[in-house]
Amino acid sequence: MTEEEWTPKIVAFCCNWCSYGGADTAGMGRFQQPASTRVIRVMCSGRIDPLHVFNAFLEGADAVLVTGCHIGDCHYVNGNEKTQVKYEFLEEMLLQLGLEPDRLHLNWISASEGERFANFINDVTAKVKELGPSPLKPAGVR
Amino acid sequence: MVEVGDMLVGYATDENIRSRGASGGLVTAVLAAALEKGLVENVVVMKHINEFEAVPIITDDVEEVLASTGSLHSVPVNLAKYAMGRKVAMPAKPCDAQAVIEQGKRGMIDLDNTYVVGLNCGGSMHPVTTKKMLIEMYDIDPEDVVGEDIEKGKLIFKTKNGEEKAIAIDELEEAGFGRRESCRFCTLKIPVNADLACGNWGVIGDLAGSATFCQVMNEKGAKLLGNAIDAGRIEVQPASDKAIAIRAKVNSVMEDLGNTLEKEIFPDIPDEERMQYYMEQMEDCIDCGACKEVCPVCACGDDAKCTMFHSLVDNYKMSMYHMVRLLHLSDSCIGCGQCSDVCPSDIPITLLQSRFAIPSQRRRDYKPGMNLDTPPFFEVMLK
Ligand SMILES: Cc1cc2nc3c(=O)[nH]c(=O)nc-3n(C[C@H](O)[C@H](O)[C@H](O)COP(=O)(O)OP(=O)(O)OC[C@H]3O[C@@H](n4cnc5c(N)ncnc54)[C@H](O)[C@@H]3O)c2cc1C
Ligand code: SF4
Ligand code: SF4
Ligand code: SF4
Ligand code: FES
Repeated sequence: MTEEEWTPKIVAFCCNWCSYGGADTAGMGRFQQPASTRVIRVMCSGRIDPLHVFNAFLEGADAVLVTGCHIGDCHYVNGNEKTQVKYEFLEEMLLQLGLEPDRLHLNWISASEGERFANFINDVTAKVKELGPSPLKPAGVR
Repeated sequence: MVEVGDMLVGYATDENIRSRGASGGLVTAVLAAALEKGLVENVVVMKHINEFEAVPIITDDVEEVLASTGSLHSVPVNLAKYAMGRKVAMPAKPCDAQAVIEQGKRGMIDLDNTYVVGLNCGGSMHPVTTKKMLIEMYDIDPEDVVGEDIEKGKLIFKTKNGEEKAIAIDELEEAGFGRRESCRFCTLKIPVNADLACGNWGVIGDLAGSATFCQVMNEKGAKLLGNAIDAGRIEVQPASDKAIAIRAKVNSVMEDLGNTLEKEIFPDIPDEERMQYYMEQMEDCIDCGACKEVCPVCACGDDAKCTMFHSLVDNYKMSMYHMVRLLHLSDSCIGCGQCSDVCPSDIPITLLQSRFAIPSQRRRDYKPGMNLDTPPFFEVMLK
């Protein structure tokens, strides 16, 4: 087996109404982006429990993205405001734990912002490529 | 008439209780009166086994309350969970009182019907450490100990044959004994979060050693103390200005010490070494779950997120159980030390939790267990 170039595995949690649409638009618009992104669709960013983020890292994600509708646009009134609060705690916790800040991001992306979604993924991929595999990645997972 | 804000010095009218009490037996008398007059249905107190061992009991027997005089410095159990689902009066170290309030916020304790008699606390010790310390530092057989006292920064043990030996607490702590680590960086020394704040700081002159300083913190405290006076169980007098000043002075010295020790106990770990540090610290965890079981601010019960989604079979690099707890307790950990105390693998889990909780709470200017304020983020509600 030949040693391929390592590309970071990125888990992107997207809400059904906005950021998932953004991911879709990015695909349809054929914006160049790495194939190693795993999109996980949830109804609202408010559904993303920090537990899911831990699980993604422990299963081998090199970066995790928490995304949803822009503030004010959440389809469940203010689910994303709650996401923001939870995210602050989660971010502080993972930083204290010693995880590099570039491995966790929060971003609001609307369904029409395909290019923004693609740029975001490309940015994170470039940064994480420099960092190398996550320290939480289980042995044997690439 | 007792009023909120009163600073009093008092003692039990019953000579026997007064002489057996840690400092005048006021606390015992107040608890007994609350039970006798039907203010509460039960009282939580410590039932002594010996100088190092005691069990918290929930009792409606006044005699059992009267037998519970004295401060046990080597029984660091947190009492909050004993107040759940009952109308009780209870003694409480500052961290007990914090946990009672946190459980109140979670609907597990009915704060309107729980009377909290706060005890000043300079710190408590782990019974196992204490026994080892007696052998190694005091050259005393733990079985021979009949009494213990703290005076002028020294820890004194009295033995069966009437001997006394005193060693400075600083010296004991330098040798790795003395107070639990959690108590060294704890800065809540007067339980201003309880209904009454009682202690021996500020008890001076003739009364030293045989009276308790008592600050009335709220209406419930006034009711509790007034009830004990009406029942003829205690006598109180206003504290002198000098007494009040001395108490405040000792408290501020202890607070400063706590802040200084915090810096020593939590040296900075460089960003790039932290992950390794935590992994090494948790390496010996046998996954017993005891640290969650004893946590006095946790109200999750058996179906908790930290345990439900955690399985050893996953063989993850870091325990999901601990990751969830580190996050969940960052706003509510009170640093009480219960988790470290029970860990069978001697993992300093309180120190690990505190590395997350202290900065998180400070950043938000929020200290759990002080009043009914909920953490700031609870303001995000459905409009
Ligand atoms: C661990 C500890 C440290 C203390 N440190 C200080 C101090 O530094 N400065 C100060 O001014 N006062 C301190 N106190 C309080 C002081 O020792 C007296 O309890 C207080 O002055 C009341 O005296 P009393 O005679 O009225 O109490 P008592 O009438 O003797 O009643 C004591 C009550 O305390 C309860 N109790 C005993 N041990 C514990 C325990 N480990 N946890 C919870 N409840 C317990 C008993 O059940 C009893 O109800 C401390 C108390 C404890 C328990
Ligand atoms: S943590 Fe603070 S309040 Fe609790 S036993 Fe230790 S010194 Fe006392
Ligand atoms: S995590 Fe440990 S120190 Fe913090 S409140 Fe729970 S038992 Fe106490
Ligand atoms: S008490 Fe100790 S061994 Fe048990 S789960 Fe907690 S850290 Fe692990
Ligand atoms: S529906 Fe998109 S964030 Fe709530």
